[in-house]
Amino acid sequence: MSSKILTPVIDYGDATIIRDEDRENPIAVRFEHVRKTYKLYKNDRQRLLASFSKRVKCDTINASDDLTFTCRRGEALALLGDNGAGKSTALKMITGVCFPTSGTIEVHGRVSALLELSAGFDMRLSGMENIQLRCQLWGLSKQESEELIPSIVDFSELGKYIDQPMRTYSSGMRARLGFAFASSIRPDILVVDEALSVGDRKFSAKCKKRVSSIMEKENVTVLFVTHSTSQAKQFCTRGIVLSHGKTLFSGGIDEAVEFYENT
Amino acid sequence: MLATLKQILSENWQWRHQIWDLAKIDLVKTYRGAALGKVWLFTKPAVYILVYWFTLSFGMRSGHDVNGQPFLLWLATGVFPWFFMSDAINTGSDVYHRYSYLVNRLKFPLSVISTFYTLSLMIIFACTMGFTIAVCLLFGVHISRYVIQLPLVMAIMFVFWVAWSIMLSPLGAVSKDFANLVKTLSTPFFWLSGILFQLSSLPEVFRRIMAFNPVAWCVEAVRDCFVYKEWFWQRPDELVPFLIVFLVVVVLALRNFQRLYKEVPDVL
Repeated sequence: MSSKILTPVIDYGDATIIRDEDRENPIAVRFEHVRKTYKLYKNDRQRLLASFSKRVKCDTINASDDLTFTCRRGEALALLGDNGAGKSTALKMITGVCFPTSGTIEVHGRVSALLELSAGFDMRLSGMENIQLRCQLWGLSKQESEELIPSIVDFSELGKYIDQPMRTYSSGMRARLGFAFASSIRPDILVVDEALSVGDRKFSAKCKKRVSSIMEKENVTVLFVTHSTSQAKQFCTRGIVLSHGKTLFSGGIDEAVEFYENT
Repeated sequence: MLATLKQILSENWQWRHQIWDLAKIDLVKTYRGAALGKVWLFTKPAVYILVYWFTLSFGMRSGHDVNGQPFLLWLATGVFPWFFMSDAINTGSDVYHRYSYLVNRLKFPLSVISTFYTLSLMIIFACTMGFTIAVCLLFGVHISRYVIQLPLVMAIMFVFWVAWSIMLSPLGAVSKDFANLVKTLSTPFFWLSGILFQLSSLPEVFRRIMAFNPVAWCVEAVRDCFVYKEWFWQRPDELVPFLIVFLVVVVLALRNFQRLYKEVPDVL
């Protein structure tokens, strides 16, 4: 239900966000001249004052700067770039947890994200309660979630730990549960941020298998952020190289990797 | 501003099923890990009421019957709403920190966080009110027909404190100082709002000023149902100032929300 009900066009000042559930649309994600500006204040007091008066000065930094790219339906797109290139910011804007300052973002289909895997869980709830909560937030009916939950628990390999509070989990356990959930709910667009590098080798291989099977079987679009060019080559068909919030290169994955490694 | 109001209302309407579930989960979380679980819902207010009752009745010798109703009932109908409002002031003003994962990890409308948190407080409040009525019936304390206005009073309180939370939470998210400032105000609110003394004993000037205190109005309205046996709209000199404050809070809520909701995920 979460994204089904969103008004398709939202105008946030200079920015426009178009978000719908149209999975037939040949375009999955499109960024056009997207800029995301973070305001940096000297301290929290300045930030508070700024919410009352417009005269308070602040530094700005553009995490995304005139970012333009298109990701077609069913495509697996790798976002390559060094730290601070604006990869995660771009993914956050696709998921809708943060808003662009200007430009146009189009997202067609429901997005499931693996952002910093362990995140998005309530540490005081048990693993099972967290999964139930996430199913509700995703808009699944009781029956649907009851069908889905055993397979999520099974994939996460948490066993008896599933009923323990989340705060007692190790980071690997949280990541496993996060991956199990995000990859099980049959999204139209799957956003993966550094996800496959966590967990032990066995689980990491399992994750890779899951991602490939999702990509083969269904019409799922995958956006993949990574430093590992070998993983990018393994999964993706196209690549984009980002630097300082701008697109430097866009094309086939082999050329993109070559470009990235040479700069 | 109207657009913001429309946005908040439609978000809340679209997520109405999840609001109820999230409110229940918030309750589960609060009483998690305690073997007695739900008993704590009543224990804390009950202990406070007994302590106040002891202090006021025996220590200060001021525990007389009020309007023919037992002093203990008068006390309970002040302290139970206060517990609701104290949480709404303390945590409700900074609700984005409590639910930071809903702000910057999942796509979730910010205004709905205020709604479901206040609803979870409201559920506890409704339970304590039910408890009060049950105890009254058990001990043969007369409950008048004025108690039927209680749901209306609770609905008004709910909307007011949701608006309060939407007004202050964006500021609390931006600045920890601000959240602390509001928390510091909660103790003065308790002592000034006539929870432990009768507002009618105040001099006229202070009564006029106190009419603009929303905590005082809420407490008096709940007491109207049980103790004073009046309709809350019968005293326009108290209702009108409250409605003015209500309007101001709603306007400020819309203004703060509109200005800051895009910034909150960036700073949290």
